[in-house]
Amino acid sequence: MIDSLVWLLLLPLAWATLAFVLGPGRGAWLAIAGLAAQFALAVDLARIVAAGGVAAHVVGGWGAPLGIDLAADGLSAAMLLLTQGVALPLAIHARAYFKAGDPAGVWFWPLLGFLLAGLNALFVSADLFNLYVTLELVGLAAVGLVAAGGGTQQVAAALRYLFATLLGSGAYLLGVALLYGAYGTVSSATLLPLVTAEAPRLVWIAAGLMVTGLLLKTALFPFHFWLPPAHGGAPAPVSALLSALVVKASFYLILRLWLGPLQALLPSFAWLLALLGAAAIFWGSWQAIRAVKVKRLIAYSTVAQLGYLFLIFPLLPAPGALQAGVMQVFAHGLAKAGMFAAAGVMIKATGQDTVAGLAGAVERLPVTFFAFGLAGMTLMGLPPSSGFLAKWQIIDAALAQGHWVIAVVALAGGLLAAVYVFRVLRQAFLQAPVPDTATAVPRTLEWTAFALAAASVLLGLRGVELMQLVMV
Amino acid sequence: MKRFAVICSALLFVGSLAAAMLELAPAAIDLRGPVAAHLAASGVSHPVTAVLLNYRGYDTLLEIAVLLLALLAILAVVGEPGAARPAPAHPVLQTLARLATPLMIVVAVYLLWAGAFRPGGAFQAGAVLAAAGVLLHLAGLLPGWQTPRLRLRLGLAGGFALFLAVAGGLLAQGTLLQYPPALAGGLILLIESGLTLSLALTLAGLFLFLSRDEVAP
Repeated sequence: MIDSLVWLLLLPLAWATLAFVLGPGRGAWLAIAGLAAQFALAVDLARIVAAGGVAAHVVGGWGAPLGIDLAADGLSAAMLLLTQGVALPLAIHARAYFKAGDPAGVWFWPLLGFLLAGLNALFVSADLFNLYVTLELVGLAAVGLVAAGGGTQQVAAALRYLFATLLGSGAYLLGVALLYGAYGTVSSATLLPLVTAEAPRLVWIAAGLMVTGLLLKTALFPFHFWLPPAHGGAPAPVSALLSALVVKASFYLILRLWLGPLQALLPSFAWLLALLGAAAIFWGSWQAIRAVKVKRLIAYSTVAQLGYLFLIFPLLPAPGALQAGVMQVFAHGLAKAGMFAAAGVMIKATGQDTVAGLAGAVERLPVTFFAFGLAGMTLMGLPPSSGFLAKWQIIDAALAQGHWVIAVVALAGGLLAAVYVFRVLRQAFLQAPVPDTATAVPRTLEWTAFALAAASVLLGLRGVELMQLVMV
Repeated sequence: MKRFAVICSALLFVGSLAAAMLELAPAAIDLRGPVAAHLAASGVSHPVTAVLLNYRGYDTLLEIAVLLLALLAILAVVGEPGAARPAPAHPVLQTLARLATPLMIVVAVYLLWAGAFRPGGAFQAGAVLAAAGVLLHLAGLLPGWQTPRLRLRLGLAGGFALFLAVAGGLLAQGTLLQYPPALAGGLILLIESGLTLSLALTLAGLFLFLSRDEVAP
């Protein structure tokens, strides 16, 4: 019997190390095989969790608070499923994207492996210090991927990203240290009753530091300053990974703290986070509408879509809110991965990266623009996409609790998303002569983007299973 | 004005942090007891090493991955570095560096061995070895590193791979990183030896892969 939970951690570490030893530019097939196995493990774990409740593993056999505990409940299992489900098609995409000798792809595969190991470890950890280590794995791997082989501008964006992410995890670590000073343990399960029973002022400061650090890493408005240059400047498969998965990791951790050890303190800040979320929706959408470059547009759309995740916090007392949040994480993860992948194809095929330069491109790239349109459908929240399901549940939960303001914000955000999505599509459908810079692109690139975007729409039809899983 | 505001808010933060710390009652849980109680089964007799490699060995496993990853990120950024040998230093400095290096190797081995029962261990030993490498480089005796070849890549990743293999091997008994008490001491020494070498190369690499701009004009 294979312990899926543990192998989801060991497998990416193993293939990342092996890919590094194999050398520069090698390891693509190894990574794809590893990711396929991880996807099977994640499905297996989701089945186990759905049938038998929380899966746990006591590392070293010591048990908290002396040792480190791993635990996967429905929320963890869902996040693991999304992570492997997005990373596998993107790895196939990236293999076709990075040509031999491309400086950006030289160390891509080991970096990808460590990124996934960090994400998987983050989703199953039940120890606040161990979570810090996983945050560092995720952050450093992401910065390395952004900076890889880039020019001055890209390295500058990566450096700014590095400072933001280090400041974020530094604040989180200071918070963990203060909690340890106050209670003498960093285990989530052991902390929960202690914090609920008595929280001195120091613990409030710790909670504030941890959440602020994580908000910086999640790029919630007004902490989003690092995201558009980093996500907009990186190679398209990297942007897809970052927007779909990396920013969700720190959001997941906020949610964990909120529902777990700090549940007695954090709900006092629910409306503040929702307010910032609403501001993110409007500001991000506005910037996306004005953006000149395609990837900048998509990056600002990420800023906006992340805002929705924070609308759920005032609604969390109702059960539907958590499901709405996870559905939005899935909808945005799949759609944005597909959208960035499609943007990468557009840039490769047209040889430039502005929205204006896409005029007439739909004739040459029908599959890519179909993928872009499907992903856009999810972002706008049109039925039957998963984005529709997510927004519907947010609005439903908001109205049920009488918070109609949140429902209005969610609806307005969908309309704004339509504006920036149609900006791209309208340009693509214009009549225009084929420019000389046009080049053919491998079919694999187009179809992997399409698969991700289609999955974001089709998930809307099978959303019930996901929501049941989250409630475990 | 901006600087004044920043200094004021930083002082305010530190002040409130200190004030909140002063009113703190003793922690509810004291882990020193359990750490000492299980020391006999941990395979080492120094509590810090027991925490790092046994009780919380999983954290250390991931930390080593973080270090390897940091090096990888640097490699990804610098691309294809040119050959670099810094200008040769003064002969006295070179002689001193030559004399110091064997001593540093001896100190590193001692630190590694001492880790089991007193302060020391793989991180400290690796840092001393790495310092020896940097010293030789600065004295003009060791060139900066190029894109790593297979042997160097094996050296960089070997310690982590060994640790990972032990962790995975122990999983065959059912639990990740659960050392059988009889083998714990030997396994921890094995892991630490591998880590010393890889950490030394990694830490030295953080410097040597980046020092290609020091070519003498």
